[in-house]
Amino acid sequence: MTKGNTCGIAGAGIIGRLTGYLLAKKGWRVTLFDDGDLAATGTTSYAAAGMIAPYCELEYAEPVVARLGNPSLAMWQQLLPQIGGDVYCQAAGSLVISHPQDRNELMRLVRKMDEHTGNLVMRRVEGAELRELEPDIDDAFMDGLYLPLEGQIDSRRLLVVLGEWLQKYATLNLGVHVRSADDGRIDTAISAFDFDMVLDTRGLKGKTQLPGLRGVRGELVWVHAPEVRLNRPVRMMHPRYPIYVVPRPGGQFILGATAIDDEDLSPISVRGTLELLSAAYAMHSGFSEGRVIETMTQCRPAFPNNLPRIRHGGRLIRVNGLYRHGYLFSPKIAELVISLIEGGKPDAAFAELYEAHP
Amino acid sequence: MLRLGGKELFSRFLIGTARYPSPETMRQAIEASGSEVVTVSLRRYGSGKWDSNAFLNLLKEMQLNILPNTAGCYSVKDALTVSRMAREVFNTDWIKLEVIGDDYNLQPDPFGTVEAAKILIKEGFEVFPYMTDDLVFAERLLDAGCKVLMPWAAPIGSGRGPANPHSLRTFRARFKDVPCIIDAGLGKPSHAAAVMEMGFDGVLLNTAVSLARDPVEMARAFAMAIDAGRKAYQAGMMPEREFATPSTPVVGTPFWHQEKK
Repeated sequence: MTKGNTCGIAGAGIIGRLTGYLLAKKGWRVTLFDDGDLAATGTTSYAAAGMIAPYCELEYAEPVVARLGNPSLAMWQQLLPQIGGDVYCQAAGSLVISHPQDRNELMRLVRKMDEHTGNLVMRRVEGAELRELEPDIDDAFMDGLYLPLEGQIDSRRLLVVLGEWLQKYATLNLGVHVRSADDGRIDTAISAFDFDMVLDTRGLKGKTQLPGLRGVRGELVWVHAPEVRLNRPVRMMHPRYPIYVVPRPGGQFILGATAIDDEDLSPISVRGTLELLSAAYAMHSGFSEGRVIETMTQCRPAFPNNLPRIRHGGRLIRVNGLYRHGYLFSPKIAELVISLIEGGKPDAAFAELYEAHP
Repeated sequence: MLRLGGKELFSRFLIGTARYPSPETMRQAIEASGSEVVTVSLRRYGSGKWDSNAFLNLLKEMQLNILPNTAGCYSVKDALTVSRMAREVFNTDWIKLEVIGDDYNLQPDPFGTVEAAKILIKEGFEVFPYMTDDLVFAERLLDAGCKVLMPWAAPIGSGRGPANPHSLRTFRARFKDVPCIIDAGLGKPSHAAAVMEMGFDGVLLNTAVSLARDPVEMARAFAMAIDAGRKAYQAGMMPEREFATPSTPVVGTPFWHQEKK
């Protein structure tokens, strides 16, 4: 579709960086603009826990989530060695448990997974089998679900590694505010730049050019708890949002994440803190002596249907609304965007995600 | 026509706004339900920037009657604060008053509910009280000035359907001149039809729709069931009998077929 080989990208979160990396590898001259820093502090991508859980996420999502997320872990496993930088990636599955009181929530998840994916992606685990997977989980949890095909990646490390790669093999303009991204042109605080193709991946910062986009607040807590040993991300059912505990190397754990339909970046609430910490403590009493090393609040960009959207036409593609699925969706979304740039046509298998510019 | 809080409504289906897969699905489900009243919890959207909240604005744009609720309030004081805040945010005097007394089954606190209702009614609110099917509780709420009663069918979110049909029938018979809406505990359309057949004026529900595999289709199913139950109530159901009674005359049937020894 596109003649020429210069691509400007507005927004250097995970989708901007990954698409930029893949385009540069294909010979495009890529230039990124973002008002943030190399670590992407202050972005949704930075706040995320990096879970790759296409099946667990079905709990509150449309079936297309599983189709988009299905190839994700395998794609990351293939991509990460190419990107380099030794990014931690775990493919040991994930575990879902519930308090006896919330057991019907667990059953609802089982039913949803059954309907949309068949029962190949999960296994009910009880008693001894559960202990074998996670020996240290509190005895109160008697049964759960094991999802062998899920995993996690070190999202923060990945952002830095991609950023460094782009600094070397493309142009990464950090600390530069983007005013607008339009057909073939990115207007920044420095000046306007013209490209053969423009990608707008600014998340909520691109809201003024994408009506309908809203922020959904999420809160996370980072804990250092060397006494606690978990072999994989563990998710606990909760009546309003799933709470997960993601183990990271070095005795660190990410507890997340609330979901509140409000565009609010103020610090973490007392209620959010209590819910996340008490869930972790109930899962493993070793968290009591852990240290809270960071709390995090961020808003996820979402459209009214909570699904990503690829708006295209001319020399401009806007990719946004990845909601709580940035790392889960970005390999597949980046692939769809690149084939749209190079082939000019949307992928019919994901027709519901595309939209022409108004 | 249902008269509620000074408004005339065509639909007897009041619907909640929590736990849909997405705001868009919620919008479609509410549309499919035909509801004219949506209930919404302010507590869940807690930062105070109400005007710019995309979710609340979506609800406002639907041009329905918004019935704010005090879900999650455990004390009179909390319920009053949330009610007054809701009046400002939604510009309405309507309030679905929930004062929770028990954390386990989310049972209402009758004493707190009556106390809060008295204060709110003095302040000019139209109070829609979430309550059990207790007759004395209901009397006290009417004394306080409530003009509508909203007994549960079973605990919130349990989806079990009418746990005690006998007491619901008694409730309906006792308060025949007060609009009575069943609030909470229904899981499937047949439950809604059953309480409408008893003569209740309407049904309020949320998770039975929002947690269905297809919330939009389920909203439609409930709307039909509520309508069917209402029509059946108005049409007058035939009385139940202990034994089968043939609906065609038995004259002409040989006598040895009529009497089974």
